[in-house]
Amino acid sequence: MNPAYLAEPADWLRDSVVQVRQGASAGSGLAWGWDLVVTSAHVAHAGEVDIVLPGGECRRGIVRACDRARDVAVLSVPGLGLPAARRRAPSALRPGEVIFAIGHPFGVQRALSAGILHAVGPLPEGYPLPAPQRLLPWVQADVRLAPGNSGGPLADAEGCVIGLSTMIVNGLALAVPSTAVEHLVRAAA
Amino acid sequence: MSAERSTIAQLSDQLADAVERTARAVVSVHARPRMPSTGVHWRDGIVVTTDATVKREQDITVTLPDGRRVPAQLAGRDPGTDLAVLRIESGALPVAVLGDPSTLKPGHLVLALGRTGDGGPRAAFGAMSATGGKWRCWKGGELDLWLQADVTLYPGFGGGPLVSPDARVLGINSGGLSRPLTTTIPVSTVNRVLEHLLARGYVARGWLGAAMQPVRFSDAARGRIGIEQAAGLVILSVEPDAPAALAGLMLGDVIVTIDGKALEHPDQVLEILAGDVVGKTLALKYVRGGKLEHADLLVGERPRTRR
Repeated sequence: MNPAYLAEPADWLRDSVVQVRQGASAGSGLAWGWDLVVTSAHVAHAGEVDIVLPGGECRRGIVRACDRARDVAVLSVPGLGLPAARRRAPSALRPGEVIFAIGHPFGVQRALSAGILHAVGPLPEGYPLPAPQRLLPWVQADVRLAPGNSGGPLADAEGCVIGLSTMIVNGLALAVPSTAVEHLVRAAA
Repeated sequence: MSAERSTIAQLSDQLADAVERTARAVVSVHARPRMPSTGVHWRDGIVVTTDATVKREQDITVTLPDGRRVPAQLAGRDPGTDLAVLRIESGALPVAVLGDPSTLKPGHLVLALGRTGDGGPRAAFGAMSATGGKWRCWKGGELDLWLQADVTLYPGFGGGPLVSPDARVLGINSGGLSRPLTTTIPVSTVNRVLEHLLARGYVARGWLGAAMQPVRFSDAARGRIGIEQAAGLVILSVEPDAPAALAGLMLGDVIVTIDGKALEHPDQVLEILAGDVVGKTLALKYVRGGKLEHADLLVGERPRTRR
């Protein structure tokens, strides 16, 4: 294996990325386990949602768990049939490492954007976010995200997921660490 | 995991190495309310940051990479080039490894670093957008190179370094010199300004004490005076006891050359005065009453207005 660029890890990861639709809102989701998808709580927080698979087929998803404060939701999706994404703890990465995001920015299907890891941890004072939220651990990335990326993966150069894209603050991309997502998935099991 | 690292993973490692190595000389500067800015440990005990991020001249502290917060003294500042220099304890940190930004071309990959408090370094990535020779920024100072990068300066990144992928500091990033791209004050400009700031706390700029504007010569006038150039600078006012007055210049005189160089635009005078000219004598030729005259002018130091 010697993928010259991000195309190869991105191809693997794209097979695990779905679109999540609930009412007027649409975001991204990531296959995390057998019939299991994770997304942002602000994309899907309760009830049933529509899941669009990479091939275009639709499935129904049911919200099994939701952490509004951490902005993560866990969905069960019968008949999902997608490979679970590989994961890595963001603490294993150093600022400056190449990362990429896959999602549906402004509805563009499974689009890639690339950048670097900015920092891991709470946001410094001065960012316009209420203190409890600002002080949560975040994967912070210098990468261009847009509405529709929410709930999609942020991955390292080898395609291992380090976080779920959540929001953009002062141009900085924030993702929930993969370890925090795993924590909620285990709690919901 | 494969034993062989992919090209992109190698680039990734290299960028992270550059961040890690450079960050050893990158500090957080607390000289304004709320969010601190970034500074670079340029020489032993000397931290460089941007002038615009230093909002107070007392009670300045610096957070070192190991999280220790130490006092810092403002050694000097130059709003013209947006640079400020602080002194911290000696021997506390490794100094930055400086590179040569004159070889940068559009497309070269670069990093911007920030440190905002006691956390680890923060990084942003991009490419050089535009490069060029020396220019005068809107704040009045002359920068040796035009360095514009497509790299995001996140809050607190002002005063931090622009870094090459091989971990060399190329200059100091300024949030205030131009938008939307990031402007970098090149290493050579920092070194030049640093000498002035360490010597006297500010950059002395040359001063003539005269206002002037361009005036065109008619063909007939040129022939009569015996000059080639199309224009000169007519003196509109002379401040009493200023260098121009002491050299005998008067309202209505038209300066045509300084040190043998033809003058046709006031920017040329500003350029001369921006250099290391205070205390030096300039040889002037000027036209008075239709005749070419000579004067020696001892350049003074521009009076400093309090901020």
